[in-house]
Formats: sequence, structure tokens, C-alpha cells
Amino acid sequence: MSKPKVAFFDFACCEGCQLQVANMGESLLDVLGAIDVVEFREVMSEKWDQDFDVAIVEGSITTPHAIEKIKKIRERCKVLIAYGSCATIGGVNGMKNNFPLDKIREEVYGKDYKYFETVETRAVPQVVKVDYLVHGCPVYIPEFVNVLKAVLAGLPYQVPDHAVCVECKLNENVCVYEKGVTCLGPVTKAGCNSWCINNGNICYGCRGMVTNPNENGAKDVIEKYNVPMNLVRNKMNMYNQCREIDQSEQKKR
Amino acid sequence: MKKLTLKDSEYEIKKGKILRVRKMTAIETFFEIALPGGESLDHEPGQFVEVSLFGVGEAPISVTSSPTKRGSFELAVRNVGKVTGALHKLKEGDEVGIRGPFGKGFPVRIFEGNDLLCVAGGLGIVPLRSLINYVIDNRRDFGKVEILLGCKTPKDMLFNEEVDEWNKRLDVKLNCTVDKADPDWKGNVGLITSLIPGINLKPERTFAVVVGPPIMYKFVIKELLKKEIPERHILVSLERHMKCGLGKCGHCQINNFYCCQDGPVFSYDKIKNIPEAL
Amino acid sequence: MQYAVLKKEYLNEFITRLAQDQKVIAPVAKGYNQFAFEEVKSGEKVALDHIPTILPPKKYFMPQYETLATYHANSSQKMNPVVECEDLILFGVHTCDLAGIQCLNMVFSERPKDINYLIRKSKITIIGYGCNDYCDEYASCRLVHSHTPNGGYDLFFINLGDKFFVHINTLAGDEITEKTNLFEPATPADLNALAKIREKKREIFANEVPVVHERMPEMFSKSYDSNVWEDLGKRCLACGNCTNVCPTCYCFDVTDEPNLDLQTGKRFRRWDSCQNEAFAKVAGGESFRKERSARQRHRYFRKFKYPMEKFSRLFCTGCGRCSRTCMAKINLKETLNQLVEEQGMKNLKAGRETE
Repeated sequence: MSKPKVAFFDFACCEGCQLQVANMGESLLDVLGAIDVVEFREVMSEKWDQDFDVAIVEGSITTPHAIEKIKKIRERCKVLIAYGSCATIGGVNGMKNNFPLDKIREEVYGKDYKYFETVETRAVPQVVKVDYLVHGCPVYIPEFVNVLKAVLAGLPYQVPDHAVCVECKLNENVCVYEKGVTCLGPVTKAGCNSWCINNGNICYGCRGMVTNPNENGAKDVIEKYNVPMNLVRNKMNMYNQCREIDQSEQKKR
Repeated sequence: MKKLTLKDSEYEIKKGKILRVRKMTAIETFFEIALPGGESLDHEPGQFVEVSLFGVGEAPISVTSSPTKRGSFELAVRNVGKVTGALHKLKEGDEVGIRGPFGKGFPVRIFEGNDLLCVAGGLGIVPLRSLINYVIDNRRDFGKVEILLGCKTPKDMLFNEEVDEWNKRLDVKLNCTVDKADPDWKGNVGLITSLIPGINLKPERTFAVVVGPPIMYKFVIKELLKKEIPERHILVSLERHMKCGLGKCGHCQINNFYCCQDGPVFSYDKIKNIPEAL
Repeated sequence: MQYAVLKKEYLNEFITRLAQDQKVIAPVAKGYNQFAFEEVKSGEKVALDHIPTILPPKKYFMPQYETLATYHANSSQKMNPVVECEDLILFGVHTCDLAGIQCLNMVFSERPKDINYLIRKSKITIIGYGCNDYCDEYASCRLVHSHTPNGGYDLFFINLGDKFFVHINTLAGDEITEKTNLFEPATPADLNALAKIREKKREIFANEVPVVHERMPEMFSKSYDSNVWEDLGKRCLACGNCTNVCPTCYCFDVTDEPNLDLQTGKRFRRWDSCQNEAFAKVAGGESFRKERSARQRHRYFRKFKYPMEKFSRLFCTGCGRCSRTCMAKINLKETLNQLVEEQGMKNLKAGRETE
């Protein structure tokens, strides 16, 4: 089998997830041995105008122009990977949806804001069909490599649908709630091997919430550890604001 | 940390060579598989194997052939997940890993000398076929045999040719029904439960074997009990996620039973008070 | 020599000598009143009177991630089953955790045996440690009779103040005392001191839940449809903490991890939890334990009812880890108390008999 042609693209994002690939060190050679990168703005100047097999898309969709562009990418590729939180769940760009669009535009572009078209932030799967998700801000490279293997083997990749706590316990970290800090591990999808907590940080919920979170259960947690509700809500919305688009569409149905 | 090679791991697979692949429906495929040197799988009707593809994983699959078939065994696989999806891409000559057979099959010894009612809904015909062909191959050991088959539409029907063969036999009574007919369908229309009042078997010497989707059991069993078939004469085969096959991993647990070891075949009297069973 | 003593000032030297030619594992403080079993080279970091560690010592018997086989998939299916193991000495294993290991031993010795577990177990030497007082309010070890040792160790240490009283239970234990050469035979005075400690312990450890131990399976049978489970379901976040920290939970998942060549790789198992959303799902998508309430009930029944039928033993060791770690304050003692009330099985005399 010839190596699949892979192209990287980015939309509204910090490009940090692509940087994760560029910085992955020795295992990058193994990855490059398995794929043929034809476009990757961050590391090469070549552009590719033909079809390719795999599109790796970072960033959220925030303008009408981006909607057109992602639809064209979808048409040109066989497999589309949404890569990084901005792409998979909207990520921090979702915070834009808390404000009226005009207000946002004026804030950013000043009095000529009318020349700059914008739409509410959407995750890539909220615009086009996506075949694989690599969650994370930034992506967790071992998971990215696992997804890549699944792509190469033509197999589905199932993002774990249990909490980050599961992996965190297996790593035997001291629960950060014991340290008096609030963490979104209990409601966030695992798959990152509790990377942040292993390194002394907390979980910010960048991988999106588990599909069936116990939203009322938070009450007991808040009581046990004495954390203010709005703090938890703000933390939750930092990455997960775009959930509301799915929720309102579900209601319409 | 030392890494020792094990000689007797329960996770060791046998190589199974695919002799024949046949597409059955849009989502079901039939495989005939041989173990090295024509070794017998040595299964009972109703048992299952763990089919393994390295890099993909393992999935529990019912054996659909009768143990009376020698030299190879057969699986009928619905494409519903990662492993079964990958299996559907295989061709003749490819190899898969096989562990097993596992679990308790249909108690054929107890059936001997008695009448048999086989009730299969949808994919339920797959494990039941192993029993039906076993009974047909040992026909003199059993009394009357009645088969009730049901599925959603005529095009979902599996093993059509074989079902026709069964139907032609004078010593087997067979009835089919579909939930929704098409213009060519000449059989019954309606749920499989509608066929049960019409059976003509002596309840005290009848064993009823029921396999189908989870929703089916309650209704079929209710009808069978109306026919006064004793509870311990009603056998069901339950579907759970039998991951290890060894009664350890916990995925297939039904209250205090491990489906992979204590089942998948259970008699109704054993599970009627087990809330997670039906 | 069956009974010996080790002066406390020798503890450090004891661990150092042990660690010279074998890996020694002991509880170590992790801050915030949290502890974990880790490799130690000397006795300085060892925290003996700890609350139960975050993970029980089961992680050395069935590791969180464990390779079952390596494979080569090119055209045919070639598999090499393996076990990863090493010689270990576990030091400072509390009686609750000894009970947990005994439970797992039963499970994995039952046919079909789990060779990986049994080989690993054969390479582990266990030095137990008795608690002279409760670790904290979450423990319910008296209820399940695991506050005192019931075997399951090679050596057992009891704190007598300035020295440890040591029970030498196996040949492996005997070899350790000889090899380290720091132990003295126990004197009648030591035995006396031990008797006093035991007597005091009888006063301190009182049945934590007013129910007769033997009647618990019956209590659970009657409460299958209790509202208690609904309540737990409403509170549970399904984070899986309770099962991951449980010394007798052993459910696992088996997965393949291919290398980038897609030809070679390994098949491994990792801890799984009946609390996880997808645990009882079949490939078609149907989940046979969809409700969190049913999953919590399943967890309790797997401790207090099902193992009683299969192994004639409760699978709760009273360590209290599940309650300590629960994000939603689901508390085992509280749940048991509710069931006791509900089923009218309150018996204040239960467990008050002298032993």
C-alpha cells in the first residue's frame, strides 16, 4: 500500500496542536515513515492542489469564508480528522457565542467592523462530516498516533466515554480536590491519560464532556469540597460553550 | 521487569483459516473456518468463540454450524462494531484467531427423546442453526421438531436455502413470519409470538429453545407458558459483551451469573428471578 | 522461630538491607494526607500508620496496564503470550488490604485460572502491618472482620511502641528475618505487651454498622428494588473512582495496541469499571446497565452478595477507599446503614461479642 497523502489545515486556532506534531521528536520519524505529508503550512512551504487521502484540520469555524473552505476540504479528502479542541468541540473560541455577534465584531475590528463577516463559532463536526476526533488543547500526541494508526488500518477510533478520573486514578495522582482546587476531570472525556494532572495541573475540560454527564450530581461535589457553583460553570464553559449548538438542535428535533 | 513467555495462557489463540466467505445480507456475512490440521473445534450447539484479529481486537461470535459437521466450523457475523467490521473485509485464505469454544450450550442430552420447539427471531437463527442441524443429523434421537422463524422483512431472512431444505423435510415442521412483508412474500405477517398458539406439541415432553433480540424473550416466554410448557423446559440464549470468555473481566455479568461461563444458554426457571437477565 | 521482635531503630536498616537485592514496595506519603505504595530504598519515607493508600496493593498483582501477548499479524496470526513480572517485597500491607489480596487470589485461582496473576503472585512476598487504631472515620473493617489479620502474609508486624512484634508465617518470611539478621526472639514480656494491644484493639474497634455480618447477603437480596439505589444513581458521577480504588474490584478490558507498522503490536488488558458508561454495552449499542443507579447497585452487590454465593466470602474489606474517594460523597457505611434501617435488620449487639 502506498503511503496516504496527508494535508494539515487550520482555522480559528493558535496552531499549537500542529506544533505538537512538529515537536514530537523521535517518533515524528516513525509517523513520517507511515504517511506522506503534502501540505503543512507550519513546517513546509509547498502547497498541494490535488486530491489527498487525509485532511487533518485544526481550529473552529467562525466565518462564512471558513464554512466554504472546510466544505471544499471535505470534498477533496477521503478521511477528515478534526484535530484539537477548537476543531472537535469548538474549544475556547466558543466563548464568542456568549456575546451578540455585532458587539464582538466592533470590539475586534473597531468602527469598520461591518466589512468583516462573522458567524457564531462552530466545531468542525457541527459543519461537515468528521471521521476521526483528536480532542485536546493541545492534542495528546500518543492519542494522535493511535488515531493515525486507526486511520491507516481503516478502523474506527472510539474516544473513551468515561471520565478523566478513571485514567487519573490509574496513575494514582493525588486528587486535586484534596488540594482544594476544582478540576473538571469527573465530567470530561478520558483519552489524555490525565496528562495535565500528572504534571501538577488540573483538568480544564478541553476534551469535551462525557456523553451522559450527571449534571445534577455536581451539587454534592460542590458541597463536599465547598467550591462556588459559578466557578464550576465558568470552567465548564471555557472549552464547552459550543455544546449549546448541539443541545438546541436536539431540542428542535 | 521480566517478560516471560507463557506456554499455557488462556489468551492463546488458535489460527483459523477462512475456507469460504459468503455475503448473506447487506450487513451479515458467512464464514467457514478450519483450525490447523483440520482439528475439531469440539463445541456444543449454542456455544461461542472469541474471534480475534490482531491490531483490531476480539469479539464473541456464536458458532452457527453443528458439531456434526467435521473439519471446519461456521460463523455468521453481523457488521456492528470494530472487530465485526474488520471481519467483513476478510477474504478466503485469510486467517483469524480463535479462542474457545466457551460457555454452556443447549443441553442436547436432556432434549433426547423429547419434542423440540425452536423459536428464532432475527439473528437468533445463527446459534439456533447449530442446534437444528445437530438435531437433524441425529434425527432418530429426538421426537417432534417444530421451528418458528421471524424477522423484520423477507430480505433480512438468513440461511434461506437451508430453511427451504428444513421445510421440505417431513419430520420437521417449520413456520416463518415477517413483521413487514413485500409483494413476493407468501408466509405469515406479524410478530413471532403470533405463531406460538398454533403449535401442537405435548407441553410436558417439549423443550422450547428461544433465541432473538432482548426485547423478544419476555413476550415469547409468556406465550410458551400459556401453552403450559414447564419453566425448566424453556431455554434462552442471552447476548452480553463476553470480553474474556473466562468469567473474569466482568463485562457480561448478569447479576450473579457470568454469561460467558454460566451461559449464554440458560433455562427460564434459573433466570426468571434474575432481574438483569430478561 | 515463630515470633520475633524488631527494635524500631532498626526499621530503617531492615528496609535498606531488604532493598539491597530485591525491590521493596512500601506506603509513602504523597502530601494532603494521601499515600501510595511505591518503591523504597530505605525506611525513611515509609509511612506505616497511613490511611489506606490511593490505590490498593492489587496494582502489583494485576497492574493497571498489563501486556498479555505480543503479536505479529502479517497475513497469518502469530501470538506470543507473555507475563511481565518481578520479585517484590510488599512492606506495610494493612489487614484490610491483606483481605483484598485474599479475595483476588480466590478469583484468579478459580478455573479457568489466570496464569498471569498467579505467576505474579508467586513472586511477591508480603509483610503485613496491624493497625492499632482506626485510620479514619471511613473504615468499616470491624464489620467485615478484617481489622485483624486472617493470614495472607509472610511476615506480620505489630507496633508495640518501641519495637515491632513480628509473626513469621512462612518460609519466605523466615528467610527474610535470617537474611537481614536484625530480629530477636520474642520474650514473654513481648507476648504480654501483644496481648494488651489486642485487648485495647477490641475496645477501639466496634462494629461500624449495626448489622450481623452473616445476614448482609440476605439484607441485600431483600433490597434489590430499594430507593437507596435511585438516590445513589442521582448523585453518582460515574467517574469510576470507587471501583478503581477498591482492593477487590478486578474487572478489566482487553485491547490491542498496534505499532505504526500495523503488523506488530501487543494485546493488553487494563482496569475497567462497571461504573463506566460503556461497560455493559454490546456491539449493537444496547447497554445492559444503562442507569447509574443500576451500576451503583451492581457494585454493592458484587461486594456483599454475589461473592458470598460463589466464594462464601464478602468482597468488602472495610478499607473505606470507595467512600474516601467518592466525588459525590457516596459513603458505604451510610448506604449500609440506610439498608439496615429499611430492612429492619438493625441489631445493636451485632459484632459486640468478645473474640
